[in-house]
Amino acid sequence: MEIGEGAAMKCEICRESVATVHLTEISNNMKKEVHLCESCAQEKGVAIHSQVKNLSLPEFFGQLTDAPPSTEKQKKAQSCAVCGIDYQEFRATGKFGCASDYQIFRKELDYLLDKVHGAVQHRGKMPMRLGLEMSKRRQVDDLKKELRSAVESEEYEQAANIRDRIHMLERG
Amino acid sequence: MQLDDFSTRAGEWLSGEGPHSDVVISSRIRLARNLADHLFLSRADDRQKRLVADEVSEALDSLDGSMKLKRMDIEDLDSIDRLLLLERHLISREHAFAKGARAVAFDAGETTSVMINEEDHLRQQVMRSGFQLEEAWRAMDEMDRRLEEELDFAFDDQYGYLTACPTNVGTGLRASVMLHLPALVMTRQIEKVFQAVTKINLAVRGLFGEGTQALGDFYQISNQRTLGLSEEEVIGNISSILPQIISFEHKIRKELLSSKREVLEDKVWRAYGALANARVISSKETMETLSLVRLGVTTDLVGHLEIHHVNELFLFTQPGHLQKVEGQELDSKERDIVRATQVREYLDDLQAT
Ligand SMILES: [Zn+2]
Ligand SMILES: [Zn+2]
Repeated sequence: MEIGEGAAMKCEICRESVATVHLTEISNNMKKEVHLCESCAQEKGVAIHSQVKNLSLPEFFGQLTDAPPSTEKQKKAQSCAVCGIDYQEFRATGKFGCASDYQIFRKELDYLLDKVHGAVQHRGKMPMRLGLEMSKRRQVDDLKKELRSAVESEEYEQAANIRDRIHMLERG
Repeated sequence: MQLDDFSTRAGEWLSGEGPHSDVVISSRIRLARNLADHLFLSRADDRQKRLVADEVSEALDSLDGSMKLKRMDIEDLDSIDRLLLLERHLISREHAFAKGARAVAFDAGETTSVMINEEDHLRQQVMRSGFQLEEAWRAMDEMDRRLEEELDFAFDDQYGYLTACPTNVGTGLRASVMLHLPALVMTRQIEKVFQAVTKINLAVRGLFGEGTQALGDFYQISNQRTLGLSEEEVIGNISSILPQIISFEHKIRKELLSSKREVLEDKVWRAYGALANARVISSKETMETLSLVRLGVTTDLVGHLEIHHVNELFLFTQPGHLQKVEGQELDSKERDIVRATQVREYLDDLQAT
């Protein structure tokens, strides 16, 4: 009863929404994997006795129809000095060789992460050793965003409150 | 070997206790972490893997109380013991059968565990019985905090915790609940659950049985995104939709009980009859009949069993556990016979007491 976890990918029917229903159909002794978004799965009347499979990152790359922002040629030359991996190898295996790869392949990565997670910035916990300084910075960033939207919607009293909180964080 | 008593008891997360355990079998949190100054595992040679394993083990030794874990090197275990750990959700399939220096550490109740050198240097896990995702997260957060006092985790300002595969980067968190939804499956309403769950970007997965057989009544709901949301938001997403699913399943169970009581009762007791009397029973038939009996127990149609009995039978009838009891490897035909005997004796013992 072990279950795998996979990456997000596009629905195979509409090719627009993110596929969140992953099925393995078995018909005539043939196994076929299907990845669908919720509305297409519903339309298809997803079989009850269906199995589900996780999707690996290389399979995910295969699903990408549009190319990453930079060309493949440029990438070939670039490899990690620490672990030796290049972008081609990463695409083939879906795995990085060391922590530095996140810096080296930053450009391609932001594109990929946006596709997979719909975000490129971590918002969760962090190691205590970095925590205080960074969480303050993050709070200030968030408040500045709030401030902008408060000003835009002409909620000036709220904007003033937010400004006070930003000053307090930046001073303290 | 100390795994011997595994064939007679289940981990605490199968106790059938905890909120909504009639529908929610268990709650699980997994957290991926890597050490900052070591290569990720796809690039590490065996010497480097051993260094990582030693460093992590030393950090685990500093834990105490409910976090006191016992470590086992996977390479030292035979294939039956590896299967046992897999069936008990203490290790993944990859971890069981991969090569190279790797280990698992877990507590006596099997609610807390750490895989060392799986896809990432550490895969921490906390399991709870029933719907206790938030409690599981608190326990996980605490262990993670304690470990980070000893270990330097790979972390990036922008990307968060760095993982071997970018699909886990950020929080490195997978939260999931395992659900038993027989009434929704029976009445073909499970698609509605799919729809509701996937709308908020969560994934629904059916559970695998032995081989390629499907087990229709069991579904796992988990988060897909690990970047851009806080841990609390991820857990909140699952926690916010779960009460609706639980009450939907409850409602249909109640309807079945009032409008089709005899039909339901017949199904449940026939399933019980098969389990109590079969001489040969496949893994698939066991899962299907146990699912019906579990439904019978939670709707008071079957009085002399409790949820934890059914949960135990799900575990004890799996291949690794059957082979552990027999003390030898068994092919699938032999397992079907041993399985039938084990289930029969288990149910006989209950009836006798
Ligand atoms: Zn679609
Ligand atoms: Zn590298």
